[in-house]
Amino acid sequence: MLKTTIKGIYAHKLRLVLTALSVMIGVAFIAGTYIFTDTIDRTFADLFENVYAGQDVIVQSETEYSSGYESPPPFDESIIQTVRAVPGVAAAEGSVEGFAVIYDKDGDAIVPMGPPTLGGSWVDDERFAGNAEMREGRGPETPGEVVIDAATAAGNDFHAGDQVTIQTAVGVDEYSLVGIVGFGETDNLAGATYAAFVMSEAQELFHLEGKLSVIAAIGDEGVTPDMLRDRVAAALPEGIEAVTGADQSAETTEQLSEALGFLRTALLIFALVAVFVASFIIQNTFRIIVRQRQRELALMRAVGATGSQVVMMVVFEAALVGLVASVIGIALGFLIAIGLTAVMGAIGIDMPSTAAPLASRTILVSLAVGVLVTVGAAVLPAIRASRIPPVAALQDTDIRLRMSPRKRVIAGLVSLLIGGTLIVLGLFARAQFGPLNELALVGLGALVVFVAVSMLSSTVVRPIASVLGLPLKKVDRVTGALAVDNSIRKPRRTATTASALMIGLALVAFFFVLGDSIKASTGAAIERGLRADYVVSVDNFAGGFSTELGDTLRATPEIGAVTALRYGYFGRDGADGFLMALDAETADETIFLDIQAGSLEALAAGGVFVHESVADEESWSVGDRIPMVFSATGLQQIEIVGIYGEQNVVQAPFLLGMDCYRENYLGGSSDTDFVLAIKAADGVSPDAARAAVEAAAADYPNVTVRDQAEYRESQEEQVNTMLVMFNALLLLAVIIALVGIANTLRLSIFERTREIGLLRAVGMTRWQVRRMVLWESIIVAVIGALLGIVVGLVFGAAVTAALSGEGITELSVPIAQIALLVVFGGIVGVIASVFPARKAARLNVLEAISYE
Amino acid sequence: MTTVSPTASDGIAARIESGVKIYGEGDAMVHALRGVSAAFERGRFSAIMGPSGSGKSTLLHCIAGLDTLTTGSVYIGDVELGSLSDRDLTLLRRRHVGFVFQSFNLIPTLNARENILLPLSIAGDKPDAAWYDQVIATVGLADRLKHRPSELSGGQQQRVAAARALVSRPEIVFADEPSGNLDSKSSGELLSFMRRAVKEFGQTIVMVTHDPITASYADRIVFLDDGQVVDEMLDPIADAVLDRMKSFGA
Repeated sequence: MLKTTIKGIYAHKLRLVLTALSVMIGVAFIAGTYIFTDTIDRTFADLFENVYAGQDVIVQSETEYSSGYESPPPFDESIIQTVRAVPGVAAAEGSVEGFAVIYDKDGDAIVPMGPPTLGGSWVDDERFAGNAEMREGRGPETPGEVVIDAATAAGNDFHAGDQVTIQTAVGVDEYSLVGIVGFGETDNLAGATYAAFVMSEAQELFHLEGKLSVIAAIGDEGVTPDMLRDRVAAALPEGIEAVTGADQSAETTEQLSEALGFLRTALLIFALVAVFVASFIIQNTFRIIVRQRQRELALMRAVGATGSQVVMMVVFEAALVGLVASVIGIALGFLIAIGLTAVMGAIGIDMPSTAAPLASRTILVSLAVGVLVTVGAAVLPAIRASRIPPVAALQDTDIRLRMSPRKRVIAGLVSLLIGGTLIVLGLFARAQFGPLNELALVGLGALVVFVAVSMLSSTVVRPIASVLGLPLKKVDRVTGALAVDNSIRKPRRTATTASALMIGLALVAFFFVLGDSIKASTGAAIERGLRADYVVSVDNFAGGFSTELGDTLRATPEIGAVTALRYGYFGRDGADGFLMALDAETADETIFLDIQAGSLEALAAGGVFVHESVADEESWSVGDRIPMVFSATGLQQIEIVGIYGEQNVVQAPFLLGMDCYRENYLGGSSDTDFVLAIKAADGVSPDAARAAVEAAAADYPNVTVRDQAEYRESQEEQVNTMLVMFNALLLLAVIIALVGIANTLRLSIFERTREIGLLRAVGMTRWQVRRMVLWESIIVAVIGALLGIVVGLVFGAAVTAALSGEGITELSVPIAQIALLVVFGGIVGVIASVFPARKAARLNVLEAISYE
Repeated sequence: MTTVSPTASDGIAARIESGVKIYGEGDAMVHALRGVSAAFERGRFSAIMGPSGSGKSTLLHCIAGLDTLTTGSVYIGDVELGSLSDRDLTLLRRRHVGFVFQSFNLIPTLNARENILLPLSIAGDKPDAAWYDQVIATVGLADRLKHRPSELSGGQQQRVAAARALVSRPEIVFADEPSGNLDSKSSGELLSFMRRAVKEFGQTIVMVTHDPITASYADRIVFLDDGQVVDEMLDPIADAVLDRMKSFGA
């Protein structure tokens, strides 16, 4: 039996290659995601292990709340004397951390997408260097001197001896570049830019006079890190803690890994969509193969094979195909990982060129998904194969083994109902079942809906193809008509093939609708919520800019009001909470906060504003005190002094006054502004006001000045960037569907060999044969696109409706983009037809006619 | 568009000169045709006969332009096929050659009428309405035109194929065992129709068969054996053909 199967695979190798290709692409994405994220994980682990290398004990503020977003608050620098006095401490050095933006030689800010712009103090002691090593020059020795990271230096052609402009919390200044530093194999710290100054200057630049962020201590010979930690801890005052360097690096790495987990999950979801699409292709291929081998399988039954042996034969064939495809897919995963690494590099995150590790988990998951999906998709065709009666060996007729159309419609409708119910439960009731949270429910529901639409779509293939055929027959009468006939000849096959494309395009259409609705809602909200004439914001949403800019603008006569906004994280019920802070005194002039209770005066005096959606959810009202855990000041019970409805200028559910913010976020990178909302003074012309703002901002190339319309555009631009990213990831699913269309066409042409031979004999040219296949391919692809658009529009409308509480108030359908999807579907059809059409056109007429 | 017009001046619809066809190489070499020369006159119903492996189907395929000779030349009218590109050959088949095969003559998605008009549709030509009606009437399928091939009997399918071969008034029609899969009644109906097309409408048909009764519908039989023309017979009757065929076995 095994031998028969392998011979069968060999005989049908070409058809199986394309099937395997679809599995391969999906598995490659899964493996690539794991390899890529494992590489980052290991890179970060190595990096932070070595950053603290040789440092036995780390001393820092104890915090009740800490996340990857916030460093522990600074403490008094006198603590270093305490640490140095502890018996067993051989040496101890303090350092400070803050914000520093380096400018390139053209005067533009160097701001990576995502990673921070770090500033630090230089410790001139080899023992505390960790993996930092001088690549060029020396460390800073006096104020005015600076070292920067090697990646920034290499990318912008900086060398020791150059002058370099750097912005810090206190303003913009020029420094002498005296050295360039690297970190082991990598040139920067996980993508961050880095500038280090001598301690006294760093404290000044970061607004940390008399403070330290962290102290590192090294023990005497014979004193273990644990012993040293205990001794140092005993000497430290309340609120300051000592941890070993090893623990510290483990914790830092873990925080980064958690952040990484989100990226991994997101990429895996797209990979699973690709695999799901592949399962449609596999099922279709096996169905066609079983049909084409009907007589052969019947003969096996006739000579004594049992039905279950036939099932096993087909399933085993699928398992082998899945296994081979998965193994190749894992290998291709390395290529995907390299591609993703290149994308990271483009963003500015430098990764070492060391080979990505292949974890056993990667192999297991990839193999399991590849094999199980292939076998699962082949089970139905296999069962069908087992129902072929032995008598079929003697007949040439097509034996009907499929589900009757009526039964399929009923099954499709039931599935549609189940899928729709799951989605509604997840979206609107926010229900959870066991391990399935609301998002998983919606996802599962969407998969069921896709299967249901695929089942139902065989009933619409004929009408859609006929309508598409009307213009087609005008353009190309005979080949067009034959193509329409061919596409509806086996509606189930066409439907499954089209459905594979439907999935990818439905998700694209969904993102189009969601994105456009977000843009429309944001636009409307900005019009309502933004009273300011100008908005100054930091590029790339990384870090912030010096508070000096706000002070300059406040002193400018053309400017009436300036409201600075900042953001911060805090502990809320054990999770990360996000808040913003603003100048409550001027907020009414620049932002319409839609205050429903309380007043800005109360906010200026202290307390917190809560967004209405959170207040509703938690049943909070003005006067309640809520617990907020800040990394600098620990648990605080803060009184709710207002409830507001605005959420597009202030994109956070909690709002503090600036004084309250300063009390709870001390110095460091939180001492910079994030956004300035600016109102011109009365009677000043827009041109004059803008010129004044631009002049003040000229020294800060990492900020952009925008008027209302421009600000709105910039918000829309962010949505567009997100759309491009999602659609790029969905391209993979579309490519798999394209392979599927090509495969089905190829198999169909194989079945119609004699027909094509006959057409050629009675005078059809090769070019006409090609056109016939091309039209059929376009019809199948456009059916897929149309189905996808319908499903995508429904999904988009449902999700938009469900998010109306989160500020997506408008439903907007981008007609032009959606229409382009149909064109895109047609292009997919054209590409998919290339090889099958060529094969059909090249058939030898005589051989084709006499083909059995 | 360059259309090759094969209209002959000398009354010969198709001819082959010193046709040699060799398949394979070395030990596997097969001489299917060993220097065949033959001409098929316009307005006649010719048959090519011979035992299995005599090369009769190869001869038909080569004259019809479906296969190419190793050496020698084939003419449809005045046009030498060896010099034509695939495209010109296709256009020639489309307008000037008709085909009836033993089986699988019809496109399953098209109905009888569409199948009959297929060569004209492919060429983008309008059918000659009078001629079309005449062909339909003669073939006796007027009430079956809307039917798909799967709804027609084997005999009806072959008559549709014959009607298709004639509808463009080709220079010549080639038939490869057209009644090979039919019972004797259906076979008789098909062959009578083909004979009428020649006698009444002046069409030219060349048919390959191994069946003496089928061959007896023809005006002339060319006998082939081992890749060579060995005999011919005019106005044959079935018994004489059978006797001639028997002699091949001897």
